[in-house]
Amino acid sequence: MAHDSHEYIPEIAVDRNGNEHVVQGWQGDNYGGKLGFWLFMLTEVMMFGAMFMVLTYYFTLHHADFIKASSELDRTLGGINTVVLLISALTMGLGLLKMRSGDVKGAKLMIWATMLLAVIFLGVKALEWTNDYKEGIFLGLQGLQSGNEFSKPFGEILFFGMYFTMTGLHGFHIIIGIGLMLWLLKRINSGKVTPEHNILHFNIALYWDLVHLIWVFVFPYFYMTGAGAIHG
Amino acid sequence: MSKSYFDETHCAFGHPKSTFMQWMLTVDHKRIGIMYAVVMFTFFFVAVAAALTMRFELFAPGQQFIDAHTFNQAFTLHGVIMVFLFIIPGIPAVFGNIVMPLMIGAKDVSFPRLNWFTFWLYIIGCIVALSSLFNFNIADGKLVFNFADTGWTFYAPYSLNTDTNVVTALVAAFILGMASILTGLNFLVTIHRLRAPGMDFFKMPLFVWGIYATAWIQLLATPVVGITLILALLEKYFGIGIFDPSKGGDPVLFQHLFWIYSHPAVYLMILPAFGIMSEIIPAFSRREIFGYHTIALSSASIAGVGYLVWGHHLFTSGMSDTAKTIFSFLTFFVAIPTGVKFYDWVATMYKGKIVLATPMLWALGTMITFAIGGLSGVTIAMIGADIHLQDTYYTIAHFHYAMLGGVVFLFFAGIHYWFPLVFGKMYNETRAKLAFYILFIGFNLLWFPMFIAGYYGMPRRYFDYLPEFQIYHQISFWGAIIFVSGLIFMFYTLIQGIRKGKPCGVNPWNATTLEWHLPSSPPPLENHTKVPYVDFRPYEYYHGQPVVKFDENMKRID
Amino acid sequence: MANHTTVDYKKERGNYYKVLFGLLALTALTFIQPSMFLTHYTFGMQMLIGTLKAWIILMYYMHLKGEVLIGWTVVFAVFLVLFFFVIVMIDVNNFQFADVSHITSPAQ
Repeated sequence: MAHDSHEYIPEIAVDRNGNEHVVQGWQGDNYGGKLGFWLFMLTEVMMFGAMFMVLTYYFTLHHADFIKASSELDRTLGGINTVVLLISALTMGLGLLKMRSGDVKGAKLMIWATMLLAVIFLGVKALEWTNDYKEGIFLGLQGLQSGNEFSKPFGEILFFGMYFTMTGLHGFHIIIGIGLMLWLLKRINSGKVTPEHNILHFNIALYWDLVHLIWVFVFPYFYMTGAGAIHG
Repeated sequence: MSKSYFDETHCAFGHPKSTFMQWMLTVDHKRIGIMYAVVMFTFFFVAVAAALTMRFELFAPGQQFIDAHTFNQAFTLHGVIMVFLFIIPGIPAVFGNIVMPLMIGAKDVSFPRLNWFTFWLYIIGCIVALSSLFNFNIADGKLVFNFADTGWTFYAPYSLNTDTNVVTALVAAFILGMASILTGLNFLVTIHRLRAPGMDFFKMPLFVWGIYATAWIQLLATPVVGITLILALLEKYFGIGIFDPSKGGDPVLFQHLFWIYSHPAVYLMILPAFGIMSEIIPAFSRREIFGYHTIALSSASIAGVGYLVWGHHLFTSGMSDTAKTIFSFLTFFVAIPTGVKFYDWVATMYKGKIVLATPMLWALGTMITFAIGGLSGVTIAMIGADIHLQDTYYTIAHFHYAMLGGVVFLFFAGIHYWFPLVFGKMYNETRAKLAFYILFIGFNLLWFPMFIAGYYGMPRRYFDYLPEFQIYHQISFWGAIIFVSGLIFMFYTLIQGIRKGKPCGVNPWNATTLEWHLPSSPPPLENHTKVPYVDFRPYEYYHGQPVVKFDENMKRID
Repeated sequence: MANHTTVDYKKERGNYYKVLFGLLALTALTFIQPSMFLTHYTFGMQMLIGTLKAWIILMYYMHLKGEVLIGWTVVFAVFLVLFFFVIVMIDVNNFQFADVSHITSPAQ
């Protein structure tokens, strides 16, 4: 409870032989916080898993179209983003390490660095989407509508539809992540997150790794599928 | 006399003086459970009203009271409320909240403030869902509603083309889904972390097992429908193409994704209900439950297998024959653990000292209605039979025998069982039993004719019908009238119980599980005075008397 | 939410850099694979590399190593997703009306 600022003392249960057992309360349950957050991340896995299933379904139906559409994406920008996100996962992890070893100032620095990398990621993403738009590939443009002279084949429409949906939702998670990190900094500054009470920092680091993890599959699926020897 | 949780509470933030604000901001699991119950049953009656309107309309062929379009909206309203607002949060939100922490000897759930947030997320979802009800206009002296007319399943491509307010229904279902996920998450962590010392998984009461299995479904199945609804919204407003055949999208994929959630969702509804049954049967047979382990593990396996059977909703939708065969085969498997539970319950009663109190009556009644509902489900799991019976009243009758005659009846059983725990008072048992008999008769009169009508080909969701089906619709109508009267009488009896009931002490039923060993009734704010050490099984009776007894400090004295 | 384990920053940092190096190497592999080896199996190879990367991230960055309960919950979720994949793939590959369906062979 918010007003229970005094330290929580766990209760002791006594069995019939007089042995004492510490009762786990909901207060101060570090492992419970971690377990809860992992369970939350599993819901993300199911969400993106379902989207990957949709993607795979259409990949099976329209193999050649998918490979052709994939080869039209900008692999350089996508690659830059992959590396940016990879490094941001490192800074996030190091930030948590610094926090746990007592270096609060260093931890904050690392969180700022992570945020900077996240913003760079979004910037590159925006550039990429702008380029796509200029080439006539965007939701609502004629190329992705049916029944006109610019219409692309079914497979390509579906590929780009899923591309904008999934990278868009991934980008949305990055934005949420930036918000979470700002909140974390606020909590650190107000002394709510400390080297001893770092579960919030721990969970946000987990969240960031999950965002990275999703990209680890989103990137090759969309960008690299069309890079091989088989072409449309 | 110590204070009960009706007198004091913890709040999510602040220290409000007014009782009203204390309720609104409470993080106490018991108060949150009661608030869920109040809201849910309010909506329950709205949905009952929608259903009754349809029954009036269907009394005779042709148009009587409402036109075809309004009829479509009426069954959508009925479905959306009953499924998303009432039965999915259902037993977990009410009894999972009120009773589950008490049963495992916890002071609250693992994340009490998240629990508070979840409740309000649910309320927001309800408001969004029903907001479009108020978006009506009056043309030619008639009300024209703008509520979604797609049915609660929102099948593409119709839901993407209709002009009615599907968007609010989709957004609402998403928000309610999130509330459901968070409830499940909270319960999973609670059950893993906050069990009293000594209570391992096989010393938990079976209701907790039901809630545990349910929570896994809430957690892992709900995100799939969440993303499906988002994809449908993106399809509708941005044209991403994946459910739109003109762009190569496959509407059947929407059905796949929808039922990946919505089929496990029916197990999400029934598993905690089975949990209630497993509490009531031993308590009123005064006998230890038969086959504790098989009941516990059957809950887990129903949840597990339940994930893998969604395709039996798609037998007529254009699936490959191979997939149909696999799904039909897997669906039969669900009947096995369910059957195991039934035999265990019956075996528990054998040679027991059966007390026919109201909760037990409800449980026994459900054994009949759910057996019909469950076995008729097996008949339509067969591909050949399903081709004939899909989308007929037969399926509707099956669904309502399983959901209303299974889940809701057991929900009522739970209400009668835990009523004295929650309020510290007892309702008038004679009246409550009478209400049961009225409801039971009304229920069977209402739904059984539909099996026959459906078998002869009466399709579901139709506004009109051929004259030869009139007799079934009229029997159903009178059943509905009896059923609704029973409902009103039952709730009247319960409300009178809250207002004027006699104080009943902490354990009026002579039950054994931990929630009946509280220091006072209604329970105090932080539950048990001391957390007990659990070195006993949940349902130990000896010659019809509970074995385990505690002193006021929760030390065993037997 | 006390977490009193003190951490040796210097030592742990080394591990983080090792993992980073491994991930960077795998990323480089992602880029050269389509033009270097097994080029006819690009999709499968890419997914394989992705899975490897995911495994490393889960085990070391997300500290899943040694977590029994959480590990099994993850296994359960991943199993479900894979099962959905398998069923839907079986369905697509055995669909007997593919030749007459509008979405697979549109009548232009």
